[in-house]
Amino acid sequence: MDTSVIIRTLPILLKGCVMTIELTVITLIIGTFLGIFLALLKISKNKVLSLISSFYTWIFRGTPMLLQLFFFYYGLPLIGLKLTPFQAAIIGLGLNCGAYMAEIIRGGIQSIDKGQFEAAKALGFNYSETMRKIILPQTFKVIIPPVGNEFITMLKDTSLVSTIAMVELMRSAQQMYATTFKPIEIFLTAGVLYLLLTTIFTAAFSIFEKKLSVYD
Amino acid sequence: MEKSFLNDNLEDYADEEYMIEASNVTKRFGDLEVFKDISVNVKKGEVLVIIGPSGSGKSTFLRCLNHLEEINGGKIIIEGETLDGKNKKLVRKITTKMGMVFQNFNLFPHMTAIQNIMEAPLVVRKESKEEVLERANMLMKKVGLEDKADFYPSKLSGGQKQRVAIARALAMNPDIMLFDEPTSALDPELVGEVLSVMKDLAKEGMTMIVVTHEMGFAKEVADRVIFMDGGKIVEEGKPSDVFSHPKEIRTKAFLDKVLS
Repeated sequence: MDTSVIIRTLPILLKGCVMTIELTVITLIIGTFLGIFLALLKISKNKVLSLISSFYTWIFRGTPMLLQLFFFYYGLPLIGLKLTPFQAAIIGLGLNCGAYMAEIIRGGIQSIDKGQFEAAKALGFNYSETMRKIILPQTFKVIIPPVGNEFITMLKDTSLVSTIAMVELMRSAQQMYATTFKPIEIFLTAGVLYLLLTTIFTAAFSIFEKKLSVYD
Repeated sequence: MEKSFLNDNLEDYADEEYMIEASNVTKRFGDLEVFKDISVNVKKGEVLVIIGPSGSGKSTFLRCLNHLEEINGGKIIIEGETLDGKNKKLVRKITTKMGMVFQNFNLFPHMTAIQNIMEAPLVVRKESKEEVLERANMLMKKVGLEDKADFYPSKLSGGQKQRVAIARALAMNPDIMLFDEPTSALDPELVGEVLSVMKDLAKEGMTMIVVTHEMGFAKEVADRVIFMDGGKIVEEGKPSDVFSHPKEIRTKAFLDKVLS
């Protein structure tokens, strides 16, 4: 093993890491808000809204993310929507993440005791107050383990955007491999960096989980 | 002479002013008719206790009054205003005049006892924090839990939870309190502390409807008892009459069972 290659390429890989983190965080923020919105549509009494949400998850969970990314990056310019790799990556990852988050959040909301909704209603809370103050705070606690799972999957899946010319950790590693022809050193380093990121994420989540379980 | 007669009449009318007027109320779940044509009026300051076997429709009736269940026929008027399910704002306005206490407490588990009490006045009524905090502390004291303010519900006993739930309902300054089997989920030794809070409320003149299996409470506190069975009001009257001299065979059979 040639450690000098690692030392030489590490700054570039770390730069890729920063982009991977950036992509992951933005994706998760979009995915969470989109997921809450879709979950509320899904459980709404309005059949049309619920159907729209189901249709959305059907499409985005039912097709490969790589295909979705290609569609946004190569397909949309043909209808006049030219996207930078970054924009296409964020849209593709965010919309996909939203579909998975929607299902997780919906399950979480439905696991909350019906009595909570009734108590809120009896106290005069309207729909939005009930959701914001009573239901969603309890939902977040229930869904932390599956959300942590989804976040880690998402972090790794950001590597897919390397195929649409987005330079993040995976793409940096590929480029470094192409210039050095040292696959073991380069991909091992990249792998360790991914592991480091997922470990940090996991730790952050278990701290968060402990924090939210004070009322158990 | 004539004038005083008129005045008497007016006074009578004032006496008969109802807080709750439920007339010919019908409730169905799909094909299942829970009850039909139930009419109950409740006066200001009255304590009405509804008893009856499980499945008699008594809890469902109580839930209809607070619009937790939509009725399929009849009319419910609370303090002169008709509960119309289509007008959500009006429904909210009317139902917040009523505090509800549930069998399973339904406290908000992610909030401490005092937060549970303060949340609705803060969020729904947008009252100032100092004012609400002061009232919440007073209510905690009233239900005998001033030392448990910062406890989460999971750290409280069933009886304590139910007392917090009563305080939470009272924090909205309701005119009417509805109790849906408030002691049914409690260990026997914890029933007394909840009933004692309810008795205090009754003494203060709170208008109350209580669905319960606690016959002792009904005898002691109720102004009027209704016995429901099979979706109908079988008998109603003063507790002394209903418990000592039930007119209906079904009432007698039920009382024999629960009092033996």
